Amino acid sequence: MAIAVFFVAAAMAVLGGIGVVTFRQPIRSVLSLVLVMLALSVLFLLLSAQFIFAVQIIVYAGAVMVLFLFVIALLGPARELGRGRLRFQTWLSALFVLVLLGLMWSLFQGAHYRQPDKTDMSFFGTVQSIAVGLFTTYLYPFELTSILLLVAAIGAIYLSRKNIDDL
Amino acid sequence: MNTLNIGGSQLDTSWFLLLSAILFVLGAVGVLVRRNPLVILISIELMLNAANLTLVTFSRQLQNLDGQLFALMSMTVAAAEAVVGLAILVDIFRTRDVEDVDELSELRG
Amino acid sequence: MSNQTLALLILIFPAAGAILLAGRGWRLPRIFTVLVGPGVVWASFVCVLALFAGKAAGDFTYWTWIKSGTFEVPFNLLIDNLSIFMCLVITGVGGLIVSYAVGYMEHEDDPSYARFFCYMDVFIFSMLLLVLAGNFVFLITGWALVGLSSYLLIGFWYQRHSAVVAARKAFVMNVIGDVGMILGTFIVFLDFQSVRFGDVFRALAPRANCQGTQVCAYRFFFDTGSLELAAFLFLVGAVAKSAQLPLHTWLPDAMEGPTPVSALIHAATMVTAGVYLVGRLHPIYDVAVYAHGAVAIVGAVTALFAATIAIVQTDIKRVLAYSTMSQIGYMFLAVGIGAYTAGFFHLLSHAFFKALLFMAAGNVIHAMHDEQDMRKYGGLWNQMRPTSIAFLVGSLSLVGVFPFVGFFSKEQILGAAFSKPDDTVVHFLWFIGFVTALITGFYTGRMWWLSFWGKPSPQRPVEHPHEAPPVMFVPVATLAVLATVGGLLQTKALGFGTDEVSNFLSSAVGPERWEGGGAEIALTLLTMLLAAALFVWAMRMRPWTAYAPWAQRLLERKYYFDEIYDAVFVRPLDWVAGFLQRDVERPVIDAAVVDTGALARWSAGELSLTQSGYFRNYVLVFVVGVVSIAGVLLLVRALT
Repeated sequence: MAIAVFFVAAAMAVLGGIGVVTFRQPIRSVLSLVLVMLALSVLFLLLSAQFIFAVQIIVYAGAVMVLFLFVIALLGPARELGRGRLRFQTWLSALFVLVLLGLMWSLFQGAHYRQPDKTDMSFFGTVQSIAVGLFTTYLYPFELTSILLLVAAIGAIYLSRKNIDDL
Repeated sequence: MNTLNIGGSQLDTSWFLLLSAILFVLGAVGVLVRRNPLVILISIELMLNAANLTLVTFSRQLQNLDGQLFALMSMTVAAAEAVVGLAILVDIFRTRDVEDVDELSELRG
Repeated sequence: MSNQTLALLILIFPAAGAILLAGRGWRLPRIFTVLVGPGVVWASFVCVLALFAGKAAGDFTYWTWIKSGTFEVPFNLLIDNLSIFMCLVITGVGGLIVSYAVGYMEHEDDPSYARFFCYMDVFIFSMLLLVLAGNFVFLITGWALVGLSSYLLIGFWYQRHSAVVAARKAFVMNVIGDVGMILGTFIVFLDFQSVRFGDVFRALAPRANCQGTQVCAYRFFFDTGSLELAAFLFLVGAVAKSAQLPLHTWLPDAMEGPTPVSALIHAATMVTAGVYLVGRLHPIYDVAVYAHGAVAIVGAVTALFAATIAIVQTDIKRVLAYSTMSQIGYMFLAVGIGAYTAGFFHLLSHAFFKALLFMAAGNVIHAMHDEQDMRKYGGLWNQMRPTSIAFLVGSLSLVGVFPFVGFFSKEQILGAAFSKPDDTVVHFLWFIGFVTALITGFYTGRMWWLSFWGKPSPQRPVEHPHEAPPVMFVPVATLAVLATVGGLLQTKALGFGTDEVSNFLSSAVGPERWEGGGAEIALTLLTMLLAAALFVWAMRMRPWTAYAPWAQRLLERKYYFDEIYDAVFVRPLDWVAGFLQRDVERPVIDAAVVDTGALARWSAGELSLTQSGYFRNYVLVFVVGVVSIAGVLLLVRALT
């Protein structure tokens, strides 16, 4: 049963990914990405990452993608036209990314893992365990990311002002 | 020991990893080939998601929570970066009405 | 004041004078130069007198210049009677000449005037360094600096093309000698592991009495072969500096310089450096018998050779130049056969009368508005009586007439050569010297009669030449007096009387090695009479050249030495230089330099194409980079 779930989710993710890259209209790309994210969240759940599953939907699909949609709404629909100025870019990129794929494939196929840690699997990935990690061992990075978000917010407000005199 | 015991059945770890590799590569293609700046940003997000998947997979394989925490941080950073990137994009679009990233090529030489 | 300080002061005075004149002299009024230029030379002279009176002797080390492993070059001055003797000549006669130059050079503008005396002080300093140095390295330093001063002073009137060419010629030939000196020093250092004179002479001391072809009883850790080679190399240096055959061609051309320069450098001091060298290094030459013999042969041959050329010269300074070459040949002959004191006595007396002759000639040239051709003189005896008398004194001294000093010194040399026991080669050299003395009488007479006697030549530039002013005449008169009474210092040539010079120098160069006899004294007087006869006969001035025009041409062309050197050395080297510049320097070396720049520029141009400005290109480069690195890492991991 888990295998079936996995393959469905995987297929959705790949289709979404292809959609992101190939649609001409950006709005469709955004929506394909949302599909990818939902598929990924299912996969997270399969991997016993309950908290991440929730956060992926709420934050990523729910906030970041909405942000993208707002920007598209703000700027108006646009279509990519023509073939662009760099002719060799397409096939050269395809070549190299295929090589990259091949490298990663060989890397992952031959991986030998160390012995897994002894953890309580019923506790693994729950909100509680995440909280414990976040507020004890990784408190420092946690605080830093909050500052990071603050900085990003300020930056975004500043960069997108309409007139120089505002702000 | 390359398999994960999920919901009773055995899934191979490398399947997850392969999936994330494919998603990553797709995102890379998007960044390289597409000329609409918005789509480029979206492709970057796709790449980040693929990385998150890898992190969580390893976390499950090694039964160590560090991977999930890292993925959490990564998500936060991705959000921040998307915000700032879009703000810049809005700024450029407003003044220049550019649709094609190739038009932004003054730093040549 | 200690002797050590005094010795250093001897050097410091002229050096300070040169620096002062170079730095400030040309901006200050002329009186400054007049006082400083000669003044420092006289100050040096006073210091030398102090050392002389105090009978100073010693090897004073002031500081160590180089010290690297076992190779050590100290700055030390060797004070012994030989160096004091040379310093007396240099500063005494030099002081007189530099004072004379104050008057002779008065027509120069202020900067050139100061420049002249600066160069003269540099020369005095260099020459003093040469004779005072206590090791080979500083000897060579002084040697080279003297060559430099000569170059600067010959080419003093640098606007004249002939002067510049002459200066260059002198310098190039001097450098040939420098190479010989340096190579000789290398060999000495290899043999003795030291460059100090003291160390070298001490090591050679047991061998000092080993002469001729005797097998010496001492066994040494070095062989005579290398010493012979070193001695020959030093001889090359001496020959170049003293203008002996075959490196003599620069001396006549050096007369392009002002007359005081000719008097000081090319008569009294620099050209005698070769004689000093052989004298100073006499322990080496006492051992290296073949080189020692070569010294004598070179000297005798040059003496004869130069005397013959002097017969046909028309420029008064050229006659004196060839005469100098000839007389130094005598000195070389003397030190070459081991009669060191005779050679140095002749050095002293030659300094007196040759400087006298040059300065008196300078008076004449000055009065005749820089005309140097003797055929345009004539009859100066009536119009410039004091100078004529002085010139006559010098001439008679040169010919070797009693009682002037030249008689005593020249005859001592010839007597020593004649009476050297068991040496037929030296006796033959005596004969050459004898013939040369006769020829000397002839050309000197010709010079004097042409310039001072008879009727004034119709081509005279000045109708009524004036006598020289006191500043130019007093030094001349002083030297005339010295040339007259100097003989009293050493009357050995007559077989009896004073022996001052020999006694003084014996502590440095060793005692007289053999004694003469009655035959020698008779020959002395005979030589003098014949030479004097030729002096008088020269007045007849028969055009003897009509009988042998080829001889006239040979002599006028100086035996074609200049032409031979030009064809054998100068032209081929010129061709090689041109070839190298055209076909090696420009295509290969310049091209390498230029092409490096062009390559850099081309590659920059090509590389700048990667800066396309397109964002997507840059990302592609990212990806390519990542792929490459990952690929390499995986490959490495797979292989190991």
